[in-house]
Amino acid sequence: MDESFDQIAAAAAKSQEQATQLFERLMEVAQPESVYSEAVTSGTYTVITASEVTTGLGFGFGVGGGTGTFPASKEEGKESGKEEAKESDKEGQGSGSGGGGGGGGGSMARPVAVITISPQGVEIQPVVDVTKLGLALFVTAGSMLMMFSRMRRLSGG
Amino acid sequence: MDRSKPNLQWQGGSSHPVTAGEITVTPHSQALIFRWAHGGFVWNRPVAVVVERPGQTQRIPIFDLTRIVQWSLLATSAACWIGFMLLWRQRTKDMK
Repeated sequence: MDESFDQIAAAAAKSQEQATQLFERLMEVAQPESVYSEAVTSGTYTVITASEVTTGLGFGFGVGGGTGTFPASKEEGKESGKEEAKESDKEGQGSGSGGGGGGGGGSMARPVAVITISPQGVEIQPVVDVTKLGLALFVTAGSMLMMFSRMRRLSGG
Repeated sequence: MDRSKPNLQWQGGSSHPVTAGEITVTPHSQALIFRWAHGGFVWNRPVAVVVERPGQTQRIPIFDLTRIVQWSLLATSAACWIGFMLLWRQRTKDMK
């Protein structure tokens, strides 16, 4: 059992190391370069995009093993005679080991603003996510209507 | 760094300066990093650009308009809920 347990533990340790390496690579989004795009120049205009970047990762591994005794099988003994029953009355020993792991992660980027450098100066234009705002407005209006109607009902108005 | 303990960091940084004519722009960002033994989370956002012209330096903040409006809507909604509840309480108290 020790050998198989060691193999499982080694595999888990290797997987954990790989996951840690992946995480370290994901942590690169913490660098300012991941937020700002490369500058694009056209004539006298230079444009840089600024985005919000979010990333997350979680992983876990587990290994386990053990040894133990199992009760004697009397059924078998009864079927095949007294001598064999005595033999099978002896308790047996067994061992087992296992391991597993899993993980998940995600990453998201959203443009926030566009920086324009021109001979006139530097201009920052915000990027508005209309879908997000529409959804937020819808939820807000819905919750307020729900609250209002509930209060009217409760007060019998 | 001890990775077994959860670690929270709030770090700022600046990207490579971009020069166009006489203007040099240095973008700045801020990152929230939360790490634990088996994973982590990073939120990185732009905060400002520093504009350097001959004899003049200016810091222009970058606002996330979508987020500002979202939080404003949430705050309005919460304020309305609280206001409605207070009104309703007052009304039921008066009725008794």
